[in-house]
Amino acid sequence: MKGFKLIVLRQLGSQLRTAEWRALLFATWIAIALATLLALLGDRLERGLLRESAAMLGADLILSSQRPINTERIEQAKTSDLQVSEVVQFPSMINIDEEMMLVSVRAATSPYPLRGEIRTRPEQPHSQPQAGEVWVESRILSQLELSIGDQITLGYSEFKVTAEMLSSPDRGSGLRSFSPQLVMHQDDLEATGILAPGSRAEFRLLMAGDSDRVEALELAWRDNLGDEERLFSLQADQPMTGAALGSALSYLKLTALIALLLSALTIFLSLRRFSNGQHKRCALLLSLGLNSKDLVKLYLYQLIIAWLVLSVLGTLTGVLLEQLILSWLKDLLPEALPSPILWRYFSGPAMGFALLILLGLPPILQLSKISVASLFRDEIVGGDKRALMIQLFCFGLLAATLLAFLGAPLAALTLLILILVGGAVFGWIAQKLLRLLAYPLAKKLLLGRLLTMRLEQQKRWHRLQAGVVILLMTLLSLVWISRTDLLADWQTQIPDDTPNYFVINIQPWQTEPLQDFLTENSIVSQLYPMVRGRVTTLNGSSIHAQMSPQQLEHNTLNRELNLSWSDTPPSHNNVIAGRWWVHDTTEAEISVEREMAEILGLVPGDILGFNLGGIEVEARISNLREVEWTSFQPNFYVIFNAAALEQMPATFITSFRLSESEQALASQLVREFPSLTLIDIGQLLQQIAGWLERLGDSSALILGLTMLCGALLMLLTLHQALEQRRYESALLQTLGATAQQTQRLDLLELLLLGFVCGLLAVITAELTLALLYLNLLNLQASLHPTMWILLPLASTLFFVISGFLLRRRLTLSQCYRLLRSA
Amino acid sequence: MTLPTTEKILLEAQNVAKWFTTQDQRLELFHDLNLKVLEGETLAIVGRSGAGKSTLLSLLAGLDQPSAGNILLAGRSLAEMDDATRAELRAKQISFIFQSFHLLPELTALDNVRLALEIQDCKDAIAQADRWLGKVGLGQRTDHFPAQLSGGEQQRVAIARAFATRPSLLFADEPTGNLDEETGHQIIEQLFDLNKQENTTLILITHDSELAARCQRCVSLHAGQLHEKVYESA
Ligand SMILES: Nc1ncnc2c1ncn2[C@@H]1O[C@H](COP(=O)(O)OP(=O)(O)O)[C@@H](O)[C@H]1O
Ligand SMILES: [Mg+2]
Repeated sequence: MKGFKLIVLRQLGSQLRTAEWRALLFATWIAIALATLLALLGDRLERGLLRESAAMLGADLILSSQRPINTERIEQAKTSDLQVSEVVQFPSMINIDEEMMLVSVRAATSPYPLRGEIRTRPEQPHSQPQAGEVWVESRILSQLELSIGDQITLGYSEFKVTAEMLSSPDRGSGLRSFSPQLVMHQDDLEATGILAPGSRAEFRLLMAGDSDRVEALELAWRDNLGDEERLFSLQADQPMTGAALGSALSYLKLTALIALLLSALTIFLSLRRFSNGQHKRCALLLSLGLNSKDLVKLYLYQLIIAWLVLSVLGTLTGVLLEQLILSWLKDLLPEALPSPILWRYFSGPAMGFALLILLGLPPILQLSKISVASLFRDEIVGGDKRALMIQLFCFGLLAATLLAFLGAPLAALTLLILILVGGAVFGWIAQKLLRLLAYPLAKKLLLGRLLTMRLEQQKRWHRLQAGVVILLMTLLSLVWISRTDLLADWQTQIPDDTPNYFVINIQPWQTEPLQDFLTENSIVSQLYPMVRGRVTTLNGSSIHAQMSPQQLEHNTLNRELNLSWSDTPPSHNNVIAGRWWVHDTTEAEISVEREMAEILGLVPGDILGFNLGGIEVEARISNLREVEWTSFQPNFYVIFNAAALEQMPATFITSFRLSESEQALASQLVREFPSLTLIDIGQLLQQIAGWLERLGDSSALILGLTMLCGALLMLLTLHQALEQRRYESALLQTLGATAQQTQRLDLLELLLLGFVCGLLAVITAELTLALLYLNLLNLQASLHPTMWILLPLASTLFFVISGFLLRRRLTLSQCYRLLRSA
Repeated sequence: MTLPTTEKILLEAQNVAKWFTTQDQRLELFHDLNLKVLEGETLAIVGRSGAGKSTLLSLLAGLDQPSAGNILLAGRSLAEMDDATRAELRAKQISFIFQSFHLLPELTALDNVRLALEIQDCKDAIAQADRWLGKVGLGQRTDHFPAQLSGGEQQRVAIARAFATRPSLLFADEPTGNLDEETGHQIIEQLFDLNKQENTTLILITHDSELAARCQRCVSLHAGQLHEKVYESA
């Protein structure tokens, strides 16, 4: 079958020049690249971070607690013949001269770590810092302009920086892992004076040893964990580190889902259009003696050749993108990531296969049903229904594998449904709005009725186009605004006197000198005592029995609370129900925060019971308070009267504002009170913002690809109407319309469509932003005037320009040739 | 054979030549071609497929420019008009009928006719369109779409559309080529009926000798030259 091969190649060659094949190939390319990227990145990050390896945990089993680890537990671990190491991790400001930096300090006993290793530069003879030494991450070196061998001050002690940490296991959980890390030996900890009883820190017991014993211990402990304790192991489902990165990863995946969805849609539409255009050709090939099996083979070969070429290209692109993203995230990663499993490299091609061949098969099978007779008469190849069913089924199958592939199937499914419904609704509204605008306009125009006819005939395409464009533009402007304006908006809206420093871990004997220091330097602040406790009873009986599962999940019940006491209401809280107690009352009374009261159904007069580290206390609710959580003041869900808690061991907390010119006071404070933990909120926010920005870059890359997919889909759908437009314009011109008139008609249609899409996108974006501002960030919503100009303009330009790039003006003689040959 | 009542020349081709250059080849369809068409005359152009009849027609209608020579419509050179004038000419004075009808599928029969009237800014386009559809016997089918009409009916809509604008010059390129003999006859009857009533100048391309014989004059395009053909009047 030499001739057959010739046809395959020739046909492929000539089809490469058609719009639908170009769209098809491009969309498949992007889909394969994205799938490869996600498969590789997801796999490596997940294996490297989320599914903890012992080398990541630094141990086989970790007991983490908000209080110092119970000595009984340590004994138990030792008698089980396990190696143990104790670690304390806490935030601290280290300072050199006037420069200060917020870091996360880890103080570990020897040996440490129990699994994996701390990689350093220069290489060190020991696995952990020895007495008098600290190892720090590169960010600390660069920000404080330190070099190896320099001295730093931590609390009351001086340390020598002996190594830069390239990577280390056991970074701790939550926000801790965002801050630059410093490791020291626990033998040095006491001398620094930083940790005192009641100080806020994470205490960890690392254990390693024979796996049966580890498992046995884990099993035994899991059932009697204290409120403040958590267990992490290789088996545990809850990741310790990398949780933040994990959610970033799922965000990336969800963005990619949109892109994959768009490519799938593009591939679907172009395949359909392609096969619809092949009917006559198939009939011809049949009449030349090909049988319908050959015909299926012919088109299948074509798809397979395309798939093979694109698999190589797409996989390469995916690998490149993965390297790019990893280089952005490099120093967030604890250590070199494991290299990807080999078969992951085939995910992209597999996805491409599913998209191209699965979606391509039904229309191809349909082509084989064409009869030679259709050459002689214009027959509409009916029975589209069955092919459509197969295609829908394939689409569903594909969606299902996609969802499974992305992980987080529920979130992805929700998003998917939201996108589809959102797109459909937007499309529908846009189309109605388009009509509303166009109909009065059409009455005034010479060829106005053609415009309305066009709107009617392009209705479905307009809906699709509008849905996609509005969704993408909304997404884009949300990302854009949140990257540029959000932080600025937030910063301008917070009042000037908002505190920018917190001091925690203030011991009772330090309160007076600290208060004096603050007063001397005329810093306005108030010290609040802090005691940890858990809500246990309501009106005499167990609170667990009285609350629904959702209520039990609330922040105030699922963990220990920070409780405070005071005989005067905090100046920044308003009492909204009941009354503040009289000074020096001896009965135990409490003030409860409004939201907590609402969610738990508490009213003044109820009696709440607390467990404060073993001591039971009951108190009557005498009032409810409104709390502004974002005020950066110390805030509490529950405040007792002084007499009720005064005797409890407590630490104190305060916050205050230092203006730009007063920054020196911060280092003075650290020098005078080396054991206090001062936290610079500005630095903390900057550290978080730094990560967000890098994650933002990665998501912008994927978002960019998503936009590309969207644009491709747009061009394809615009192009599909092109033949129609050419024909119409040719006919109109022979009827006496000028080329400009027909062109103006197209222009008007695209202009209106673009404008309507832009307008709706702005409105959607503003509404979403307003919701975000009001509900999540407690900011005043404001309009973004540039967006109101830019979005409609961009959208209009996009439609008009792509419409005109696609369409070439017909000369009259071309018109005539078109008509007489048709 | 009745001679036209006036001897006024409506359309004239003077030494017209047309060639196409494709890559390195030059394809010359005709040169030094001359033709005069009188007002109210019916003229058939016959010739082999590929002889250049359609091309000649597009030159005569001002849809394409001759490579050399001149075409005058009512004494004015088409080449010297600008696009807008030529478009206006097509709107008000020239109509076309095609082999494959060319109705817009999204418009009803009425709207297809109405569209042509609207392009020439006709005030009562709907009434006019309705009247013309009545004249071609489709008064009951005005709100049918092209897909709901047979080929012959579609061609009748096209005829109605062509005459509705009251053109002085009508071009028809193989108007019966896509129709069976019976229907073709009916269409021809219709065309000549209306032509007589409206006193339109008709230039017709056809393979059908019967149809050609019904025209007052017949020319054959052969080897780049026009030859007058004389039929015995039936
Ligand atoms: N734009 C063009 N470029 C090249 N060749 C053309 C062009 N238009 C027509 N021709 C050629 O001119 C010849 C005459 O075409 P046409 O006028 O359609 O003939 P007819 O209508 O008599 O069958 C054909 O061989 C055709 O291929
Ligand atoms: Mg022809």
